[in-house]
Amino acid sequence: MAKVTIYSTPTCGYCTMAKDFLQEKGVEYEEIDVSVDQQKAQAMVEKTGQMGVPVIIIEKDGQEEVLVGFDQVQLTNLLGL
Amino acid sequence: MYEVIIIGGGPAAVAAGVYAARKQIKTALFATQIGGQSVVSDGIENWIGEEVISGPDLALKLKKHLEAQKDSIDLHIGENVDKINKKNDGTFEVMVGENIYNTKTVIVCSGGRHRRLGVPGEDKFEGKGVAFCATCDAPFFKDKDVAVVGGGNSGLEAVVDLMKYAKKVYLIARKDEDGLRGDPVTLAEIKSSDKVETIYEANAIEVLGDKMVTGLRYKHIEGEEGTIEVQGVFVEIGSVPNSEIVADFVDTDDWNNIKINCETQETSCPGVFAAGDVTNTIYRQNNIAVGDAIKALLSAHEYLKKN
Repeated sequence: MAKVTIYSTPTCGYCTMAKDFLQEKGVEYEEIDVSVDQQKAQAMVEKTGQMGVPVIIIEKDGQEEVLVGFDQVQLTNLLGL
Repeated sequence: MYEVIIIGGGPAAVAAGVYAARKQIKTALFATQIGGQSVVSDGIENWIGEEVISGPDLALKLKKHLEAQKDSIDLHIGENVDKINKKNDGTFEVMVGENIYNTKTVIVCSGGRHRRLGVPGEDKFEGKGVAFCATCDAPFFKDKDVAVVGGGNSGLEAVVDLMKYAKKVYLIARKDEDGLRGDPVTLAEIKSSDKVETIYEANAIEVLGDKMVTGLRYKHIEGEEGTIEVQGVFVEIGSVPNSEIVADFVDTDDWNNIKINCETQETSCPGVFAAGDVTNTIYRQNNIAVGDAIKALLSAHEYLKKN
């Protein structure tokens, strides 16, 4: 089972689309709102080397995949949907 | 062999798809995702029938309406069309990865993408301070100094979005003060804010930075150059049509928009129709894209009766 974390901001359209997509496919995820949590925002920037949302982190079998932006094809493939 | 293949996932493509399905025309639709360019808008107030609706909510409604037709249309969501070839017999090949789909007609509704500055530093610092969506990324610039390049409505709206978070917002506009094009309410909000400084009659010429953006160099039309210290550069200078997939065999204008007959949405190539922001339509609006796409589908239907 993959663990999915999504870093987002409330006004980000692609973040909403990513969340809608995950919900539609019945995938559980943890959401981190980086507009209110400055520390998590900083951590996200350091981890990905960039400031763009959504950032979707998929942890599976000890491996971590970091996706920047909402790419339905990649998400489908990585989560085996 | 399909009768119609629709390229795109915005309001135009969805409209063509719904109509094609209901006419029982053998159709496939290819889109990376359903929603269109307005997905990033947090409040659309001019989509007829809705007082206000967010971009993502509109995207969901479009998706549901399209998916309701799935018994009558082959939906390929999450698949990107690489190229379209015109064959000698007047039909078309649509190449998607390793797959080839044959069709009698094509309806191009592939929309537009952000125009880029095309200056040094823009590519290097994309995501590291250079951004194209203020509604998405404004929160990252809390208490920082940012610049918006673009004096049209998108640029002005980006300034307003950034004013909520940034310490200072510079607006770089090519024209003078009278050249700012935007809603009066937005203009008034900007003019009354002491956070905003506008640099008129200037072009951005270089994005400066180390690991992240640290500044922006600009040049006045008179030749004088300047540099501002900013941690963010938002580019809102219009859009570029996604017409490359048919540009080899369909006439486009000087800005690469697909040229269409506005009565029928026909292009210069028989069997190819187009609608929405990818065309040389004068007005770029969701409601218009929908109407034009329906025209395109009905025209394709007439074409199919004779071919």
